[in-house]
Amino acid sequence: MLLGGALTLLLWYLAPWAVPHRLFGGEGVLLNPFGHHLPQGSLPQGYRDGWLGLVFYLSLAWLLLSLALPWRMGPKGAYLAGVLGLGLFLLTYVLFQSSVAQVNVGAERPLLRRYSLGLGSYATLAYSLYLLLLGRVYSPGGLAFLVRRRGVVVPLFSLLLASLLGGVIVAILKETPGEAASLREGFMLKLDLITYTYQLLFSPLVNPSGFLQSLLLATPLIFTGLAVALGFRGGLFNIGAPGQLIMGAIAAMLVGVYLPGPRWLVLPLAILAAAMAGGLWGALVGWLKARFGAHEVINTIMFNYIAASVFLFLISANEYKFFGYTLYLPFKYPGYEARSYEIRPEARLPHWTDLVAPGGELSFALPLALLLGLLGYLLVRRSLGHRVLAALLLGALGYGVGGLLPGLPVSFGPDLTSVRLNGAFLIALLALLFFHLYVFRTVGGYELRAMGLAPKAAAYGGVMAGRKVVLIMFLAGALAGLAATHYVLGGGIDEYRLKQALPYSVGFDGIAVALMGQNTPVGVGLAAWLFGILLTGGLQVNLQLGISRELVAVLQALVVLFIAAGGFLPRYFTDPLRAAEVELKEEVRP
Amino acid sequence: MNLDVAFWTALFLSTLRQTTPLLFTALGGMFSERSGVVNIALEGIILFGALTAAVVVERFEAALGPGPHPWLPWVGVLSAMVVGGLVAAVHAVVSIKYRADQIISATALNLLALGAPSLVLTYFYGNATNSQEVANRLPLLLGLSPLVYLAFLLVPVAWWVLFKTPFGLRLRAVGEHPEAADTLGVNVYRLRYTGVILSGVLAGLAGAYLSIGFLNQFVRGMSAGMGFIALAAMIFGNWHPLGILFSTLLFGFASALAIQLQGTEILPAVLVQAFPYVVTVLVLAGFIGRSRPPGAVGKPYEK
Repeated sequence: MLLGGALTLLLWYLAPWAVPHRLFGGEGVLLNPFGHHLPQGSLPQGYRDGWLGLVFYLSLAWLLLSLALPWRMGPKGAYLAGVLGLGLFLLTYVLFQSSVAQVNVGAERPLLRRYSLGLGSYATLAYSLYLLLLGRVYSPGGLAFLVRRRGVVVPLFSLLLASLLGGVIVAILKETPGEAASLREGFMLKLDLITYTYQLLFSPLVNPSGFLQSLLLATPLIFTGLAVALGFRGGLFNIGAPGQLIMGAIAAMLVGVYLPGPRWLVLPLAILAAAMAGGLWGALVGWLKARFGAHEVINTIMFNYIAASVFLFLISANEYKFFGYTLYLPFKYPGYEARSYEIRPEARLPHWTDLVAPGGELSFALPLALLLGLLGYLLVRRSLGHRVLAALLLGALGYGVGGLLPGLPVSFGPDLTSVRLNGAFLIALLALLFFHLYVFRTVGGYELRAMGLAPKAAAYGGVMAGRKVVLIMFLAGALAGLAATHYVLGGGIDEYRLKQALPYSVGFDGIAVALMGQNTPVGVGLAAWLFGILLTGGLQVNLQLGISRELVAVLQALVVLFIAAGGFLPRYFTDPLRAAEVELKEEVRP
Repeated sequence: MNLDVAFWTALFLSTLRQTTPLLFTALGGMFSERSGVVNIALEGIILFGALTAAVVVERFEAALGPGPHPWLPWVGVLSAMVVGGLVAAVHAVVSIKYRADQIISATALNLLALGAPSLVLTYFYGNATNSQEVANRLPLLLGLSPLVYLAFLLVPVAWWVLFKTPFGLRLRAVGEHPEAADTLGVNVYRLRYTGVILSGVLAGLAGAYLSIGFLNQFVRGMSAGMGFIALAAMIFGNWHPLGILFSTLLFGFASALAIQLQGTEILPAVLVQAFPYVVTVLVLAGFIGRSRPPGAVGKPYEK
């Protein structure tokens, strides 16, 4: 409590409270009750900062309350102080927005640009949330409350730690724009730089094209995240997603380019081919482990390199010499760039605009299909097979009926239509559903989890360990292979082709996604989206601040490291037995 | 096809060159696993070492002028070893003190080694893929870098340390049966830290060899799976220095053959590049049943 208060006070002193205007290079007009940082010498365009004084005195009063209330009233006081703090933050936000609006409204072009609150105000928010958390933890059963939710606490805390360390890295690597007159102003500039970096990283959340772009980048991450998560559930570490993705991409290209036929046949076949090829590539590693005991970690990595070699062999040239003989291949498209021929139109996944609004009219087909499908699954209370069948039938019905309903005409701006989000996103959602059903609702999934938790007990219980390993690796590989549908069949990068630029290293990102999502489908979906946001925002960071977008990769790696270390939290957050001890003790206590 | 003396000499020297980083790394991995900690972060540590050596030497040159400084590459080598040791220390703390899954913790460091160099390179050179070339590489002794001789010299040294010194005995004991070693008063944690950090120092050395011995700059992803191949060689070599010498020579030969065949009309270069990886898979499948890992490898120890 004291520590949190002191930290908040320090940030109030050092960090900017609000940034009403920011120049292009990243330097901002930084407002702080102890003295502003003004790049042009004065407040811009007649901006008035009178609101800040009011907020400052309110904040000081609140800080005293936040120490006094818990001291007098215990956990309830902490709750009260936390709620008051949230109110204070809301007030700050409203006052700041209206102060900016006073200048901007009426002007032809907004005079104040890239405005936002600063770290000082966010400190108020963070301290309020911290107070609420403290209130819960010090109430009866509070620790057990946290420990029971350790699947959320550990990843989130690790993300927080990684972000803090990431902030330090940014502060070291990037010189602050603008000149500081005093030490405090220097700190203010650094802290603003870090805040601005994170604001940019999360900026896709607040603009529509960034939002779609984050979904686009999340799509392959969902597949590879599931591919790794399935392995983890079964006690295997699948670092082979990049190679499995490559094999899936090659197969999808072969079917998509060379198999003629109607759309209803070719498109499913191409998707199936991607899954099969990835699956077989994974199953090979599984077989090597089951038959020879060769560890899957090193083998999957070797198979990644081998797949990359095969990939380049197929599309980088059409003529090869073998012991003096010449071999001709048909796959590479003529020209300098290493890429395949175009996927036939019948085998392409539709662009998102064609799914949401075919022919420029907002269609009810997909939403209705999803709704009825969900209803079918929830209402039919028979076996799993019946429920899935009902969901499928009702979903198809919904799609048909929805397609007949008249649509609403809409049009999207070029910034939205240029985002290459496509049908692969729907396949990704289906894959999440499949993961849930298979792992948590079938006998096979039960055996798989048993293998992961206690292999010897599972074998004693009748699980054929060797076969199961091959099957797990097949399914994991198939999930990774499906990621290729996004890149090749959906034209996820820029063309409907297999290209050398295929970013197969998203297979490694899947490790971070699986760990962050704690190997649950909902978690994997959310984690993939989070990293999709960060990757999209990373582009902005690179454009506006000149920091390499690999910053996001570093953050991912740090998250993996910290989750592996259990977030450096006490043992009862990582060890299920000790967690149970804590929960029991808290329940027994009167 | 013209397979004359020049070809065989080139192949032989190339084999020695390709074996060197593998040998350093595999010996490092041996010390780590003999103490009971799996360290697949060696791949990433090679990259960190290579980056450090190249950047340190280049920064010194920028400060002192390019003129020949015979001592400068050795500063690079030393700093690469220090950084390698530090990165390994992170793995050690997370997996020994915080009992993390050793494979996941090491994978995190490997992921870090894919991203972090770009940040550093952008900071110093404004591009994300390679460092500036350095003028002061490691010197050549009879056509080979001194680190090549050092690597082969390390084999008997490692054997002596592991089997003839009290330290080696304790290290092996801690990896085989930590409880027993602990009862006899051996400090399990300290020995494991030593083993892991030693592996990082050696992998850092391998990295320095790659960036300022074999080449004269850091290139993104230049380790190309060498750390993993070295681990396969260590398994194939049965966690024994002499076995490791022969297995790394085999892998080094496979890589050297791949390099020598490039540009010839015997096999396409893109396929030949996969040769060492295929050999690794085959070796792991064929010989793993016959090798025996240290008893407690991969398991966190709890007092």
